[in-house]
Amino acid sequence: MGFGPIRKQLSSSFVIFLLAIALWGYVVGPLVATFEQSITGNGGGLTEYTNFFDLRHGAQGESMLGSLIISALSVITSGLIGAFLAVLLKRWDFPLRRVCEVLVLVPIALPPLMGVQAFVLLYGIGGTFPQLLSNLFHTSKTAFAVDGISGVLLVHTLTMYPYFYLTVAAALEQSDDSLEEAAYSLGASRFQAWTRVLLPMLTPALVAGALLTFMSSMSSYTAPLLFHVDQVMTQQIVIAKLNGQLGLASVVSVMLALISVAFLIVLRTYEKRAGYTTLSKGGARKRRRVSSPLWKTTLVIVASISSIFLILPIAMIFLLAFSVNGSWRAAPLPSQYTLQNFIGLFTNPSSWAAVVNSLEMSALAVAGAILLGLASAYVIARMRFRGKAVMDIAVMLPWALPGTVVAINLITAFASPSIFSLGRVMVGTFAIVPLAYFVRFSPLVFRSTSASLTQIDVGIEEAARSLGATWWYAFRQVVLPLLYRGLAGGALLAFVDGVGEFVATILLYTPQYRPLSIAINDELYYANYGTAASLGVIQVLLVLVVVIIMLPWNERETVTYR
Amino acid sequence: MTALTLEALTKTFPRAGKVVDSIDLRIEEGEFFTLLGPSGCGKSTTLRMIAGFEEPTSGRILFDNVDVTYDAPNRRNIGFVFQNYALFPHLTVARNVAFGLQVRKVSTEQVRQRVAAALEEVQLAGLEQARVDQLSGGQQQRVALARALVIRPKLLLLDEPLSNLDAKLREETRAALRLLHQSSRVTTVYVTHDQDEAMAMSDRIAVLHRGKIHQVGIPEDIYERPATRFVADFIGRNNVLDATISNTSEHAVVVRFVDGAELAIDPRQRAAGVTLIPGERVGVCLRAESLQLASGNGIFSGVVEDVEYTGPVRSCVVRTDVGNLQVEIPSSAARPSSGDRVRLAISPATVHLVGSP
Repeated sequence: MGFGPIRKQLSSSFVIFLLAIALWGYVVGPLVATFEQSITGNGGGLTEYTNFFDLRHGAQGESMLGSLIISALSVITSGLIGAFLAVLLKRWDFPLRRVCEVLVLVPIALPPLMGVQAFVLLYGIGGTFPQLLSNLFHTSKTAFAVDGISGVLLVHTLTMYPYFYLTVAAALEQSDDSLEEAAYSLGASRFQAWTRVLLPMLTPALVAGALLTFMSSMSSYTAPLLFHVDQVMTQQIVIAKLNGQLGLASVVSVMLALISVAFLIVLRTYEKRAGYTTLSKGGARKRRRVSSPLWKTTLVIVASISSIFLILPIAMIFLLAFSVNGSWRAAPLPSQYTLQNFIGLFTNPSSWAAVVNSLEMSALAVAGAILLGLASAYVIARMRFRGKAVMDIAVMLPWALPGTVVAINLITAFASPSIFSLGRVMVGTFAIVPLAYFVRFSPLVFRSTSASLTQIDVGIEEAARSLGATWWYAFRQVVLPLLYRGLAGGALLAFVDGVGEFVATILLYTPQYRPLSIAINDELYYANYGTAASLGVIQVLLVLVVVIIMLPWNERETVTYR
Repeated sequence: MTALTLEALTKTFPRAGKVVDSIDLRIEEGEFFTLLGPSGCGKSTTLRMIAGFEEPTSGRILFDNVDVTYDAPNRRNIGFVFQNYALFPHLTVARNVAFGLQVRKVSTEQVRQRVAAALEEVQLAGLEQARVDQLSGGQQQRVALARALVIRPKLLLLDEPLSNLDAKLREETRAALRLLHQSSRVTTVYVTHDQDEAMAMSDRIAVLHRGKIHQVGIPEDIYERPATRFVADFIGRNNVLDATISNTSEHAVVVRFVDGAELAIDPRQRAAGVTLIPGERVGVCLRAESLQLASGNGIFSGVVEDVEYTGPVRSCVVRTDVGNLQVEIPSSAARPSSGDRVRLAISPATVHLVGSP
């Protein structure tokens, strides 16, 4: 036996070992720490767990039920809207259709905190539409206001429908006209063709959308916060934590984590069974041209109104950014407008500091995410080793966990010094926020890099090695050039998410290093909608820049390097 | 001089089991050597172990008597041509071919010259700046070949390189490969499941089945004197009939078929390992093209079931008491029809005995 295999095995084992340590230290370990805290901590204990299933004992069981019910309802409402829009825009061709297709995706750029606030200002108590409608119909001011659970559902529906829209639209684009034609030729009515042919074909897309919406909804914090719904698990976690009951917060976190992980496993199993669904642009399914003018007009009106409706929240943010703070009193919209907010952004040191802080923290996090995401994607895609399936789940875990839970995990793990924090207490420092972003968004880089890697034929690396290249030479010259779009795409998404992140930040930040979302939160506390919105606009612009950068990349998404 | 030696080479996979079972081979310098066998017989795995992409479970691999068993693939100075070409999609043709030279830090001028020469040899001169996804399958295959040859490897390894090409292209590339081998004289190990390919191109062939070597020899030996029943079945259109040895003497051995018919043949016409003891069961190989439709005498009688015209020959299936026999007759001979009662004759010199399973 020569030294060859031993040396090769040593270096790859070393990398796998490092990854395992990192995943333990920052993902799995903290989850375990939360579990320990849930038993021993203030307000925790085993009885608290049993309280979940005993509705008479109060808050926790109710909050779990609340979360589950809201999530189930969100799935239904988002599904209806998302599927409806997908069919509307993919099946027929009519004037303004292309514009609507673009507008329909705009809500993806909605920033987390300011976005929900925009909903409140549009539809909530004292909001634009309730005021307009109460003026119109001469009713009380709150008659048309949306609050509580309906407010949360409204936000969820209008922000999570893209999960359904994207999957159903892709399924429609890839499907074959001939299946429906076959049904018609066999005598089926249009209704029968839709229910027996089209709908079953869309099932995988609908299931994927449903799982994503459900998981997103369970993690939702900002909407319940701003619409005053306490009886959801995320709110209970934060309330308990702010009351000093870290044990109780941990109990709820563990329960929420279990639910999220269960859904993650279902989602991964489903994805693997249903085959890999890439958003490819292959298979031209023809759109029907609409001949009847009445039908055409109807479609145009419906599509336009829906699209306008969907972009209202973002439009509101832009509008508010130009409004004078405090000029919105009892009217549908603010009365005074100015450019001062933007000028103040660059001149006011504390606002500008918030922007810089967020950019720094996100950049740090993304640097780490690229290392972790790239290494784990490569190792999992290319190497065989025991425990690979476990590592796969561990890497994706933070993506499934609500941001609130990730924050609690880091709090319980790093409240005291540990090796992974280099012997220091991390809670209350600058570093814990980028760490949270790193943990939360590494899965994005992992996922997009893995997707790229599976499209690269293994033979290419072997060919390079057979020609004399060392592993590192082959990686640099052959693999990386083919990978970089997937890697960069994931990294950019992670960066954008980091700059806007709110739900974990609110639990972890220190006032000395205020990130952007906290600055917005503070301004909203004083009802300085103008300043808050101008900060929100920065988040939206960042998303737009990233989208523009990534636009030419998506054109070549279907190239398979064989 | 032995360029490549495999000693008791074995590979076991956790789920698939023993895929390569203790293979011994010696391949001479400059030889064109083919590993031939059906899918799953272990030929690709063996090739990949020679290249260093798989690690053997046990056994040794020697290049020029130097043990390279555990050497990394980039240290073995091999050229590998993949079934699906594995060209670098982000590089031009010239850059693909230049890759191995650049790794070896050859001077830029030398690289240019050698790449141009290599492309000329595979008849792709002028396509240096083309992107690989603009090329046809046949062209891509030739780029892969040029890329592997330009580095002047000690060993050229090819893994079913023609299977993704259509029939005409396959024949052309086959001829081109043979010519290239003759001019370069690089030791070549070729893997394929196509016996026509193997016999047309190789100096010697190893027939593999379920991880074991059944026979090593020149194409004529493989075809005319198969060593085992499997080789007889796999190569050519062969009828392998069960029979028992009824009688032996110095000059002849008589075999009896299941229908009682007997045939006397030269005792040397048998595979090694077939013992000539009366009562012993053997397999009798009758090649389809050596069976003749006889008007009068013939050892077997039967009914013609199916006749296929394939140009130069007609293939028939004749149902007899010893089984359904495949028969090939030249198209110029009299044409049989389905349902004809016929007699089949065989020249004893073409008969070959193999062991019974």
